Amino acid sequence: MGMAERKTERKTIKREGPVIDSIPIIYKHRIPISKTVKYWDGLKEGKIYAVRCKSCGAVYYPPQADCPYCGSSDIEWFELPKEGVLETFTRIYARPQGYEDFEPYIIAIAKVGDVRVMGWLVNVKDERCVKVGDEVTLSTAYIEKHNKYIITFQLKNKQC
Amino acid sequence: MFRKVGIIGVGQSVFGVRGDVTIQELAWEAVKEALEDAGLTQRDIEISIVGSAGTRTYELYPAVPVNEYSGFSEKGPIRVEAACATGSAALAVAYNMVASGFVDVALAIGVEKMNEVDTATSLAVGGRGGNYLWEYHFYGTTFPGYYALYATAHMAKFGTTEEQLALVRVKNQKYAAKNPKAQFQFEVTVDDVLKSRPVAWPLKLYDCSAITDGAAAAVIASEDAIKNLHIDTPVWIEAIGYASDTANITKREDYVGLKATRLAAQMAYKKSHIEPKDVEVAEVHDCFTIAEIMAYEDLGFVEKGKGGKFIEEGQSDIGGKVAVNLSGGLLGKGHPLGATGLAMIYELVKQLREERERGRQAPLKKYIALAHNIGGTGHYGYVTILRR
Ligand SMILES: CC(C)(COP(=O)(O)OP(=O)(O)OC[C@H]1O[C@@H](n2cnc3c(N)ncnc32)[C@H](O)[C@@H]1OP(=O)(O)O)[C@@H](O)C(=O)NCCC(=O)NCCS
Ligand SMILES: [Zn+2]
Repeated sequence: MGMAERKTERKTIKREGPVIDSIPIIYKHRIPISKTVKYWDGLKEGKIYAVRCKSCGAVYYPPQADCPYCGSSDIEWFELPKEGVLETFTRIYARPQGYEDFEPYIIAIAKVGDVRVMGWLVNVKDERCVKVGDEVTLSTAYIEKHNKYIITFQLKNKQC
Repeated sequence: MFRKVGIIGVGQSVFGVRGDVTIQELAWEAVKEALEDAGLTQRDIEISIVGSAGTRTYELYPAVPVNEYSGFSEKGPIRVEAACATGSAALAVAYNMVASGFVDVALAIGVEKMNEVDTATSLAVGGRGGNYLWEYHFYGTTFPGYYALYATAHMAKFGTTEEQLALVRVKNQKYAAKNPKAQFQFEVTVDDVLKSRPVAWPLKLYDCSAITDGAAAAVIASEDAIKNLHIDTPVWIEAIGYASDTANITKREDYVGLKATRLAAQMAYKKSHIEPKDVEVAEVHDCFTIAEIMAYEDLGFVEKGKGGKFIEEGQSDIGGKVAVNLSGGLLGKGHPLGATGLAMIYELVKQLREERERGRQAPLKKYIALAHNIGGTGHYGYVTILRR
């Protein structure tokens, strides 16, 4: 018996039968951004905006125009700093529909000022050399496939 | 005042890729077994609660066809959704309806068909499980990715290792191998897990639960109804605790535990006057290996940061402090979102009745069990405590 044959049989429940195709349904949503348009415009200029409630001082990131704590909708926009510290990250190998064409990408969360920001950590070959606590700089980048701007992080003091 | 409520019948379909059945046919497999187990017919059931996340099937309003197919057209359904905790939410609704005196006998059904779409679609649906606009839209988050964020942080803060994560899958496969209703009925080694392909680093294929079709159901009744029906083996629902947390993962307090678990557990322990050390057998939400390690800590089985050691020492296995996931867990048994919470109940009722196969029956003295079911990435938390 060869090695391969000696591998124990792995019983998995996989029951198939005859199938038909459903009538496909395509969703393409129109998402309102009128209350957060400052954020979307900011990304185009390389700026990342958060929101502060003028009435109670609560800070919101991601931004929102209404403060559920005090009930006020009187808010001010302010720009976040361009530096932060990595809190955690992962590299996405099994990619979802709409992202299949991208090379496996790193999603990271960094502490930036008083808030946490999600972004793609770019220019990293080996994720195993990245560490929680590493310092990063923030910028934004245009993603042509989705016609959108995203936040990107780059390691500040090291190459990985 | 709430009335005492017991579980009198449970059912579960075979989990796995079930390309042989529609969602309603699949649900019926569990409903039929639950009714037979209780010795009841549809006539005895006053209301059905149908839990289904329902985001991957062609049947966009699944509760109605499920209800009709199972013979309950005029009773309910109340449709419930709480992502991966949908089954527990269905039980909570049924429990509240019986406890409050609204009805005497209720049926909770959980069902999910996840394999009618391909993996990329499934990942795109799961990745929307937080807040589409601020996360998936920009960054293509996935479910394995969300839990990987927790794994990275837990490993960095507490030194939890990939080997310790792997041990969770090894333990759960040991029991899945003995569970004829599990999706993956074989054992694996630490090496198998470590060598499996990366899905969302640091999580690899065997750190992940799979894409599963399945159904589970439970019949519950008031104490009076249980007496009138002459049922002598009820399992009592001592308490259900529930909680939630932020939609945006960036708004969480930290990435080394789930607040929804801690709050739901606190509520359940307090209501039932049961402490973590009293729990003898538990089904915990191991959608990913890191999730089981965090669950040990957040449920109070061991202090925060020591979850890796807990599995290493065998404390979560038969013979340890608490026997965890003797069904094979979500990792081994499969994780059909809407069914999962009720499949946990199915397993624990069987455990408490001491009806399990050799080698996967927990030794019991106090007959106290705990089910822990998380929806989304800690978006919903349910902790249910059972006693026989
Ligand atoms: C990890 C994941 C992406 C893998 O899916 P995939 O790449 O399509 O894998 P396939 O279906 O092609 O399966 C390939 C093989 O791996 C096996 N397999 C699939 N997922 C598995 C898993 N999680 N664990 C072990 N084996 C698995 C299959 O049975 C198959 O085995 P075979 O070759 O012997 O038939 C998928 O299982 C997944 O998304 N899991 C997470 C589910 C989830 O997020 N649930 C939470 C709620 S949304
Ligand atoms: Zn305010």
